[in-house]
Amino acid sequence: MNVIQNPALIEQLAASYALGTLRGGARRRFEQLARGHAPLRAAALIWQGRLASVAELQPQAAPSPAVWKRIENLVNAEKEARAMEAARAPAQVAPSGWWVSLSLWRGLTAAGTMAAVVALVAGANLSKLNAGLDGQLAGLGGQVKDLKAKLATASLTPDIQYVAVLADDKAAASMLVTFDQKNQKLVLKRVGSFQEQSDKSLQLWALPPTGGPKSLGVLNSDAVVRLTAAGSDVRAVPTLAISLEPKGGVPSTGGPTGPVLFKGALIETAL
Amino acid sequence: MKTESPDSQLLALLDRVALSDEKALRELYELTSSKLYGVAVRVVTNREWAEDVLQEAFITIWRIAGDYKATLSPPMAWLGLVVRSRGLDFLRRRAAERADRMQELDEVISDTVAGDSPNPMDTAQASQQALALHECLSQLDNKQREVVSLAYMRDMSHGELAVQLKLPLGTVKTWIRRGLEQLRGCMAKLA
Repeated sequence: MNVIQNPALIEQLAASYALGTLRGGARRRFEQLARGHAPLRAAALIWQGRLASVAELQPQAAPSPAVWKRIENLVNAEKEARAMEAARAPAQVAPSGWWVSLSLWRGLTAAGTMAAVVALVAGANLSKLNAGLDGQLAGLGGQVKDLKAKLATASLTPDIQYVAVLADDKAAASMLVTFDQKNQKLVLKRVGSFQEQSDKSLQLWALPPTGGPKSLGVLNSDAVVRLTAAGSDVRAVPTLAISLEPKGGVPSTGGPTGPVLFKGALIETAL
Repeated sequence: MKTESPDSQLLALLDRVALSDEKALRELYELTSSKLYGVAVRVVTNREWAEDVLQEAFITIWRIAGDYKATLSPPMAWLGLVVRSRGLDFLRRRAAERADRMQELDEVISDTVAGDSPNPMDTAQASQQALALHECLSQLDNKQREVVSLAYMRDMSHGELAVQLKLPLGTVKTWIRRGLEQLRGCMAKLA
């Protein structure tokens, strides 16, 4: 059967290809043939264009207003990250603490994504300071707002001593973990779009060099979660991991029972 | 007063979104979210999941709006494709988590396929190209139209469609082949 000399067949194959119902070996043969034959390629492109409009004809429905709020938050976080990245660029010339830790991190993960993550670290730090300020200045009303505005523009000295970026199996950053040794607080910030179902909980584990995983706590569904942890639980732990567990988590002694969704190296930041 | 065509309005907004203009993203959302949420609901069949898909789609649009210029699609078709592709990703992720990829068919669709209720097509904000497609799809009978539309929106094979629609495989294949043939004849005249 010579496809190329059969216009009706070309159309039929191109249409099934664009629709997606041409599958398996037939699809691969079509693709191979199309690479060498412009009319076939053109027919496939025309059909792809036509069928793309099927999406335009779907009935409308109103999403909950919460969706825009979520989009706005993510977009703001990204913008903040870009701005911080830009602001930090000149500082890299000096052999500062940030520079040292930056090159260390670059060694651990792809450089492209890291620049954004570095900026997110600073963002998390900022929100942590903001949260602290909120506590201290409770009741002082408008002053808090002023101070926060100043803080946002002031250059900050980060006081985080341990940082981990937990990524999923595609190396996409999903959770940012910082450990504040002074206050014995682990702060987890969700940076990906993952949200567990309501009957599940995420659980954070330390993976020490020897012995089994040790639970550091169970996360609630908030975007930022704070867990109390002793320095001895966090120091000298090379890796942190998050598993998906039944609601409320599982006892530490048995280790994770569900799949490990995110993990990453715990890094001591040079300050 | 002459109003701006929907396409040129969306084009201008996409240009601004490509320059990281948050206000433009907001305007784009206000203009298109109902349409695009409809697309997401159609792909994933569940309103809550569809909201996650819509959110992911707008973050994707925020990041890749600059790529739009390289395509020749009408803007609404391109936006619809972004949502469809996020929706299909969502279904694949769920399939990896759970075995039950096949969702129970929502009632609207089973009604459409089973009976003769009109297919809920909607031409609001549709591009010229979509209006032509709408005219041609309208000439198919309800069942053919629904099978073609489902195959595309959910990226389903003949076999998957047969199982979900509880139809013999041969019937699904015939409807799709005839549906596409009729579309070809009609679209060739219009476009």
